[in-house]
Amino acid sequence: MSPMKLCVPGDKLCSVEDCTPGTGVYLRHGYIYSSLAGYVLKKNEGEELPVISVVRETETQLLPDVGAIVTCKVTSINPRFAKVHILYVGSTPLKDRFRGTIRKEDVRATEKDKVEMYKCFRPGDIVLAKVISLGDVQSNYLLTTAENELGVVVAHSEAGAQMVPNSWCEMQCPLTHGKEFRKVARVQPEYLHA
Amino acid sequence: MPVDTRRVRGPEVSQSPLLFACKPAAVFSSHGPRADGRQRDQVDVRPVFVRCGLVSQAKGSAYMEAGDTKLMCCVYGPRETERKDDTDMKCGRLTTDMRFAPFSCPERGSWIQGSQDKDFSLMLHESLQPALCLHKYPRSQIEVNVMVLENSGSVLAHAVTCASLALADAGIEMYDLVLGCAIRQDGASYVVDPTYAEENGNGSDSSDNQGRLTLAFLPSLNQVSGLQSDGEMTEESLSAGVRTCIEGCYKIYPVIQQALAKAVRRAAPPPSES
Amino acid sequence: MAAGFKTADPLEYHRSFLKENCRPDGRELHEFRTTTVNIGSISTADGSALVKLGNTTVICGVKAELANPSVEATGKGFIVPNVDLPPLCSSQFRPGPPGEQAQAASQFMADIIESSEMLQMEDLCIERGKLCWSLYCDLICLDYDGNLLDACALTMLAALKNTRLPKVRVNGETGAPEVDLGKRRGLKIRRHPVAASFCIFDDSVLLVDPAAEEEQLATARLTVVTDEEGRLCGVHKPGGTPLSGERLQELIGRATVRQKEIHRLIDKVIKSIV
Repeated sequence: MSPMKLCVPGDKLCSVEDCTPGTGVYLRHGYIYSSLAGYVLKKNEGEELPVISVVRETETQLLPDVGAIVTCKVTSINPRFAKVHILYVGSTPLKDRFRGTIRKEDVRATEKDKVEMYKCFRPGDIVLAKVISLGDVQSNYLLTTAENELGVVVAHSEAGAQMVPNSWCEMQCPLTHGKEFRKVARVQPEYLHA
Repeated sequence: MPVDTRRVRGPEVSQSPLLFACKPAAVFSSHGPRADGRQRDQVDVRPVFVRCGLVSQAKGSAYMEAGDTKLMCCVYGPRETERKDDTDMKCGRLTTDMRFAPFSCPERGSWIQGSQDKDFSLMLHESLQPALCLHKYPRSQIEVNVMVLENSGSVLAHAVTCASLALADAGIEMYDLVLGCAIRQDGASYVVDPTYAEENGNGSDSSDNQGRLTLAFLPSLNQVSGLQSDGEMTEESLSAGVRTCIEGCYKIYPVIQQALAKAVRRAAPPPSES
Repeated sequence: MAAGFKTADPLEYHRSFLKENCRPDGRELHEFRTTTVNIGSISTADGSALVKLGNTTVICGVKAELANPSVEATGKGFIVPNVDLPPLCSSQFRPGPPGEQAQAASQFMADIIESSEMLQMEDLCIERGKLCWSLYCDLICLDYDGNLLDACALTMLAALKNTRLPKVRVNGETGAPEVDLGKRRGLKIRRHPVAASFCIFDDSVLLVDPAAEEEQLATARLTVVTDEEGRLCGVHKPGGTPLSGERLQELIGRATVRQKEIHRLIDKVIKSIV
């Protein structure tokens, strides 16, 4: 097998008649050019033309996009919304933090009008959420946790210990056995340590 | 005069010893071979040394040496824009900052950014922006910071090259690399990639057709993204100068490509083909 | 997802390493990062040095200028150290005038020079009451990964060791200085002050040479400056966890060992140049 081809931005890779453009490339005058410095990757998928992409060691800088699952840390809450810092997009850590907002009506899918923010999140909680909008110029990314798999994954009790989920809306402190309310995600909290 | 209270202050006035030198420094002559042995009237650029990814904190970085000119560029972002009113929902923002270290020139510079630094920052911005796929980075900003460590001429041209290298190292999507090249026109003759002395000397006897030209060029798309010229040049020498600069850019292109390929290879082995 | 743990809960992440008596970068608790010194790379400066302490990189250029001695000290020259933390070196710094950290570092460098008597200010006097040297030591951080003070102090020392001043005499008739740039001589460095920094984690665990993240999470920081005779030239402890006398003694002991290591390193580098 020949070593994989390297390319830099601006390199002409092939004609659109030979391949379909994937990621890290752009189209110009019927040709596909590289827009990244990386390895050229061709993927054959069935009968169609192979997909040509340029890939790098790390995922190229991802920006939180609509529909992406993000991991974030709650920074502040008030009765109407919670403010968070987005730490991850999918499994890729972000080098710089982006801010997001989870509004009261986006916390859960049912009984939206009965949501009390203080019973769902606390500052410092690690939350799994989905991007629903990039927001507008004035606001941050809008996020939702209105799915069973989304919500708090790591939370610390008032005593400072990491809590164990009891149900979808309650977590318990292993030290004091005190219970606290959260909008809990249906994932094992240990996943962060694995 | 405003007093800078945030820095350690020295004497109120001090002067560079160069002003009192017994023997004047070598002057820029407009005839014969150049001081560093390069050819006049030919596309004789200094050999460049480039290296990517030296700064641990930056998303992408590049260090570049061309003769004694040494500079460094770091790229941060894309990250959230600092001010809300700068946010563009459709398109990313590029910010550029170019500075000279106080010890980078023969005479000591000030810590405070002068108008020259600002002009250079602006030129850098104009030269780089057309090459970036900014529409891929909505509502975020990409920061380019250049620090000139030693100024031995043609700084802006090399800053453009260095910055595009750092951007590519950061994995910012671009249509093409941007390369820079400068010439100094001196009467009927010209020098490519001038040194500090050649750049600033007023050499020739005739005062006609004296000027400097810096060009930023997208080598693969064959497009010019930035052009700055000062002085007085005839139309012919200006257009000839542009062609010469483009040739100069192609000379350093392979070095830049290799440096980037090396950085990619060092960062990770090729992904498995599947 | 070990990396996930790292961003989500950095404090816990570090604790998990410290429990095993090691650090995230693989160092032991009392271990300094690899230190490299490079001198004389900037030809536009009268003396220069580039120091790397792990990832942390600082460059210093010394520029000598002529000035009038101050009225209070007619027989003394000036040394003006300034530290710059440009946005290039880390995303935590913004453009503009120096922030608190840079100001504190500049002042700390000035304090080291004064208290260690590394240079005698009288050596910088050319003619009493009329002419003296003012040495501008401009320090720029190029990559900020913690422990700025150690890196700056070392860079400044190495750059001053590398500094060569041109010969000057005052013309008897005109009173104007005459500079011979061809003839240069080095400075007499009388002492070699070296800084060693520590940080205290969770009010108890002691770490040597903290990296940027360790510095941020630490409950206290401490910098000790000693010279070759083991004299204490400065201790800097900006708040944080209190420290017992014995603990401080222990750290001073560690700092003197570090001084010897660094002193040897500088001597080796200087010798390799000549």
